[in-house]
Amino acid sequence: MTTRRHLLAGGAAVAGLGVAAGAAVVATTGRGVAPAPVAEADAVALTTGTATVPFHGPRQAGIAEDPPAHAAFVAFTLPGGTDRRALARMMRLLTDDVARLTRGVPALGDTDATLAVLPARLTVTFGFGPGLYRAAGLKPPIADLPKFRIDRLESRWSGGDLLLQICADDPLTVAHTQRMLIKDTRPFAAVRWVQQGFRRSPGVQAPEHTQRNVLGQMDGTANPRGAEIDPAVWNPDGSTTLVVRRIRAEMETWDILAVADKENAVGRRLESGAPLSGTHERDEPDFAKLDDSGLPAMPDFSHVTRARVTDPKLKILRRPYNYDGAPNAAGHPDSGLIFASYQRSITEQYLPIQQRLAEKDLLNEWITPIGSAVFAVPPGCAEGGWIGEQVLG
Amino acid sequence: MRRVLVALAAVVAVLLPSSPAWAHAQLLSSAPAAGAALAASPAVVTLRFSEELNPSFITIVLSDAAQQRVPAGAPVVAAATATVAVDSPVENGAYTVAYRVVSKDGHTVQGSYAFTVGSVSSVAPTPVAVAVRESNGIPTGVLIGLGVVGAALIGLAAYFALTGRRRAPVE
Repeated sequence: MTTRRHLLAGGAAVAGLGVAAGAAVVATTGRGVAPAPVAEADAVALTTGTATVPFHGPRQAGIAEDPPAHAAFVAFTLPGGTDRRALARMMRLLTDDVARLTRGVPALGDTDATLAVLPARLTVTFGFGPGLYRAAGLKPPIADLPKFRIDRLESRWSGGDLLLQICADDPLTVAHTQRMLIKDTRPFAAVRWVQQGFRRSPGVQAPEHTQRNVLGQMDGTANPRGAEIDPAVWNPDGSTTLVVRRIRAEMETWDILAVADKENAVGRRLESGAPLSGTHERDEPDFAKLDDSGLPAMPDFSHVTRARVTDPKLKILRRPYNYDGAPNAAGHPDSGLIFASYQRSITEQYLPIQQRLAEKDLLNEWITPIGSAVFAVPPGCAEGGWIGEQVLG
Repeated sequence: MRRVLVALAAVVAVLLPSSPAWAHAQLLSSAPAAGAALAASPAVVTLRFSEELNPSFITIVLSDAAQQRVPAGAPVVAAATATVAVDSPVENGAYTVAYRVVSKDGHTVQGSYAFTVGSVSSVAPTPVAVAVRESNGIPTGVLIGLGVVGAALIGLAAYFALTGRRRAPVE
């Protein structure tokens, strides 16, 4: 026993010294930092759960609003023989479900009505894949993306005839909504894939703060804002398009990079999100700026340099969610990004950016697209109407 | 002895997380060399690094004394060597070669050096400084320091383990 105790004590002493040595280089440990006082629960107004986003309107919800913390992207495959009338029946039923659930009202036949009462900014956004248009006897307004050199696409994360993007500030609300909508879609279509993701929880950061992805990067700084959104995202009829890509983060190799390596790959400072040519996150990157030695301050091959879009009408609205699955036995994570972008036109806006990134982007060394799907997003509907009525009605 | 090894393993485990900083490319040599005083314009600039380069991610900029970019071709990479062709002979003067390269393991290394062409009276005769901004956050000095600390820890670990054995009662 004594021997074992000595062994443990010796090990602890060594580990402690190691930490001390490490602390001298990196930073001090958390010792001496008192936890911030917790606000008294009864002083907090509980508004997160009951908050709603209007469902009805000329444009679908779940696109231009600040993204809620949790999302499920659910794609379906239509069976052969599906016709336009069946699609209309399905969309009438799903529209009714969503109109209720987004108000905090149980869906018709809701088997767990108590779960419906806290919508937590619930939105459900419908997207139609190329296959849905073909089933309806219509020419698809969107086409699958070309294969990119960097793609390692898996069929289990790709394609889809119908997409539901379910977003809410609470994961139980998302789970219940997903369950109800899948049950009502089941007679018409089979589940093809489900991708669940998250962002920072409500109240953790000010809403205008830019998200971080699992690589620690600020994600969405270059998004169109305010008045820029309309011309970039919406067609005159209230429709838009959606690209969903599952992008695996190669965490094991990313983790061994130094901060400067990571910043060169992205073109932004990790901590502040500022472009390497500037000092603040929202500083416009200056691609002409040279350092004293003559090198461009923004590396030619950085993600931001390659993705730059100067015409605001050609920007895309990124609305991504992080994913973090179960690690494998070796402890390697299954993490990445559910990239979701909205734009008027996939071919005019998304494709040129993606082609430049696929051709050259240092960040590609640590990210791998493993899923890809495109959807047309039909206009919204008025009360009593249904999503897709302009297409299928 | 086994306890010494266990303690040693603990030391290594503690120190390992800082090891990635050791692996990155360095500029080994160049033509023109850093600080070279050439009689005539170079036709090419060649940089040789300690590690194989990723040919997709490389920037080499040749600038004159007024910090204006001298027209040159796209870098051609062969293993650890990168070459750019200078479009047309440059005039006498002082020049700077700046590079930003990425080794196969993804580390970015950048730096610069100067050389002169012709007899340049306006250029200070002192050797031209070689400025290399290591992309890694941990400078070499700290790494050496860490190594020393590591060696000390190994000694301490051995001491703990051995004294522990001496005081252990015979069972």
